[in-house]
Amino acid sequence: MRYELQVNAQTQVVDVPPGTSLTSVLRDDLGLTATRLGCGHGSCGACYVLLDGAAVASCTMPVDEAVGHRIVTVEGLAQDGHLHPVQEAFLKEDAMQCGACTSGMLISAVALLDDNPHPEPEEIRDALSGHLCRCGVYGRIVKAVEEAAK
Amino acid sequence: MSRGAPRGWGERPPEHLEDRIVIRLDGEVIARSGKVEYGQGIRTGFRRIVAHELRLPEEAVRVELGETDVVPWDMGTFGSQSTATDGHTLRIAAAYAFQLLRERAARRLGAAVSDLVADQGSFRAPDGRTASYGELAAEAPLEGTLPASSDVTLAPGPDFAPDADRVEARALVLGEARYPHDVRLPDMLRGHVLPPPRTGAHLLSLDDAAAKAIPGVVAIVRQGDFVGVVAERREQALQAIQSLEATWSAPDGNPEPPLEAHLRSDPGVEAALAQGELRHAATYRTPHIAHASILPSAAVADVRRDGADLYVATQRPFGLRDEAAAILALDPKDVHVHPQHMSGMYGGGGWGSAAIDAVRLSQAAGRPVLVEWTRAEEFQRSAQRPWLEARIEGAIRSDGNIAAYRSEVRTNPHIYGSGRVPPEVAGMTSGRNAVPPYALGAMDVALTVEQAPIQTSAFRSLAAAPNVFASESFLDELAALKGEDPLALRLRHAADPRLRRVLEAVGDLAHWAERPKGDGHGFGLAATIYHGTYCAEVAEVFVSQSGKVRLGRVFAAVDAGRLVHPDGARSQIEGGIVQAMSWTLFEETKVSDGRITTRGWRDYPIATFQDAPEAIEVRFVGDEDTPSTGIGEPGSVPIAAAIANAVCAATGARVRELPLRPARIQKAMAKG
Repeated sequence: MRYELQVNAQTQVVDVPPGTSLTSVLRDDLGLTATRLGCGHGSCGACYVLLDGAAVASCTMPVDEAVGHRIVTVEGLAQDGHLHPVQEAFLKEDAMQCGACTSGMLISAVALLDDNPHPEPEEIRDALSGHLCRCGVYGRIVKAVEEAAK
Repeated sequence: MSRGAPRGWGERPPEHLEDRIVIRLDGEVIARSGKVEYGQGIRTGFRRIVAHELRLPEEAVRVELGETDVVPWDMGTFGSQSTATDGHTLRIAAAYAFQLLRERAARRLGAAVSDLVADQGSFRAPDGRTASYGELAAEAPLEGTLPASSDVTLAPGPDFAPDADRVEARALVLGEARYPHDVRLPDMLRGHVLPPPRTGAHLLSLDDAAAKAIPGVVAIVRQGDFVGVVAERREQALQAIQSLEATWSAPDGNPEPPLEAHLRSDPGVEAALAQGELRHAATYRTPHIAHASILPSAAVADVRRDGADLYVATQRPFGLRDEAAAILALDPKDVHVHPQHMSGMYGGGGWGSAAIDAVRLSQAAGRPVLVEWTRAEEFQRSAQRPWLEARIEGAIRSDGNIAAYRSEVRTNPHIYGSGRVPPEVAGMTSGRNAVPPYALGAMDVALTVEQAPIQTSAFRSLAAAPNVFASESFLDELAALKGEDPLALRLRHAADPRLRRVLEAVGDLAHWAERPKGDGHGFGLAATIYHGTYCAEVAEVFVSQSGKVRLGRVFAAVDAGRLVHPDGARSQIEGGIVQAMSWTLFEETKVSDGRITTRGWRDYPIATFQDAPEAIEVRFVGDEDTPSTGIGEPGSVPIAAAIANAVCAATGARVRELPLRPARIQKAMAKG
C-alpha cells in the first residue's frame, strides 16, 4: 500500500504492506538506518524518533499511524552542516561506547530539552528511562544532556 | 596478505613493519591491526600511539582494523589485550619506521641524523631544506622484521591529552556509523533461520507449504539440520519462519567428561587449615548471564562461486573467515571479512552466530543476504556466561594472619565450542583469577570444568568476575571473624606494592576510615589484579527493609601503566562498573530443561538510568613508564564483591549467590 510520510522535512512516498512498522519503513525503504532496531517491543529505546516533537518508539508504530505527522530521525538533527547542541554535547562528554543506543538517546534528549530547557539530573534520568545502554555510559549521557542545556 | 598461520595459545608470530605501517606518497599514514573496535576505543588509542612515535598530528594517521585482506593475522579481540599487545607492536613499528625515515632523510639532505627536526610529516635539515615522509617512504619499501623494543628509540613522553576525541564519535552522533544491520547491497535478500530447539537436536520433518505461500518468500533452504528462509523483506522472512512446521529429535546425548586442573597446590594446606585458630568455609554461586547486546546479532554475506564477502561484527575476524571458508569449501584467502561497527558484545562476539546463518543462506540463494536476529533469538541462540560455584575454606592464625586458603571452583567452558582444551587453557580461562593475589599462607586452588546443557562462552573477564566475587567476599568474611577492618586485612596480606597502592588509593578516595556502617547504609571493598592491571573498588549501598539495593557512589583506583587515552580508559572503567553492577543486582538467564527460556528485556532486566550508581569516581595511579595494560575488563571484576561486602556492612546480611535480589537479601537479613 502507498503511504506519504513527512520525514526530516521531506515528503517521502513508500509502498509497503499495511501494518509495517515505522522502523522498517525508515530503515529498509528510506535507507535511514540511524534509527536502530533493538527489540521490536518498545522496551529498549534504540528505535526512538521524534513524532511532532515527541520521542516515540518507532518499532511498535505501524506506518499507517505515522501518516500526517512530522517525523524526525537522527539524520535530521544536524542543520546546514551544524550539529545539534545535543550531538555536540555527546561528543564533548564522549557519552557513548559502542553507539548502539546513541540514536535513541539523542532523540529523547532533544525532545526533553525542547520541553524543559534546563532539566535537573533526576528529570534527565526520568526522561531517558526508556533507553537501555549495555556499555554503561548512563552517567556520561546525563552529563551530556546537562551540557547541552547550557 | 594476512601473514602467518594461526598459532596456538600464547605463541606470537614474528612481526613485520610492512604489515603494520604504510606511508603513502601524499604522507597519509595507515596503521594496521587484526583487532577490532567495539566501543572500547582502541582505534583512537592506536592512532595516538602511532602519531606520537611519528611526531604527527593524530589526524594524519588512519587505523585499519580487522579487515582480513590487509591486516596481519590475529587470534581475536579479547582479554583486554589490544593496547598491551598490539598497541605495543604498533608503537615499535612506528618508532622503527621513524628511525628508517630519519636515516633516509639524513642521506638525502646530507645532514646528521641528530641535526634533523621532525615536524608535521617532514624532516628539516639545519640549512632549511626538507624531506617529507611520503617522498622518503617512496624511495624504497619500508619493510623488515620488527626489532626488539630494546633496539628502537621510543619518542619521549608524552602526557597524552586527557580529552575525549574518539575517532568514531562523530559518525555515531550523526547516525552515519554502519553496523551489519545497515549494510545494503544490490539484490540483497533478508534471511532468517529456524534454530533447533536444543543444541544437538536433528530435524525429523519439515512442512513448508504455508511458508512458501507467503508473499515475498524467495526460497526455503534445507540442508541437513539447517533450515532457513530468504525473502524480499525482513518481516516476510520472519513470518515464513513462524509458518514452518518442523519436528525435531531429542538432542544427541554426548556429554563431554569434566576437565580438572590444579591452579595452585602448596604443600601443607590441610595441616595449616587444621592448626588455624579460626576456620571458615563458604560456597559462592553465580548464574548464567547473557551478553545482552543492545542490537541483536546481524550479518551480511555475499557468497559467490569463487569467493565471499562478509560484513559482520565479530571479535575474531580470522576465526570467522576460516569457519566460513570451511563451510563454503573455499580457500580462506577468498573469504573477505569486513568488520562493521559493533553493538557491544563483551566477549560474546567470538563465534559465527548470525554470520554463519548469512553465509549458508547466501550460498543457497546465490544472492547477498542480511540476517538479523530477533531479540528473543539473541537471548536464546547466544552462548551464555558459565555458571560458577566456588567452595572456599580458610583459616586464621591467632596473630590474625591467614594461614591457609583452599578453593574448589566448578564451572563450564569459557571458550565457545571448545569441549576439550588443554588444562592450562582451562586454567587461563575458566580458572582466571581463581588464585587470589595475596599471600594467604598455604594455598590450594582446584578447578573442574563441566559442560552445561546450554552453550557457554566468554564474557567480559571470563571467570575472573565470578571468581573474584567469591574470593573477595570470603576475605571480608575472614576479616569479620577477627573483627578486623577489610582494608587493613587486605593491605597486610598484599605483598605486591602496586596492589597495595590501588588499595590505599581507593581507601583515600572513598574516605574509608570515616565510612558510615549499618542502618541500611554501607561501604564495601574489593580488589583484583587482572592481566597486569591493578584495580580496587569501593561501593556505597543503601539497602531498604525489603532488601532492595540502591548504589550510591562507586570509587575505583586503577593502575594500568601508561595511559594512551585517559578519558577513554576512564569511560571503560565506568562502563565496566555499571555493567557489572547490573550482573550483580539483576541478571540471570532462565534455563529450563536444557533450553534458554529468557525471551526479552521484561524477563531479563538490566541496569537502567535509575539503577546506575549516583556517581563514579576513578583515580588512575599508574606510572607513565610502566607498560600499558588492559582497561576493558578490569573495572568489571571487583564490583560484585564490593557490593556484596557493602550489603553485609549495611545490614549484616552475607549473600553468597548472585544476583543480589531483594528476596535473597531479606532472607539473609532475617537470618542475621
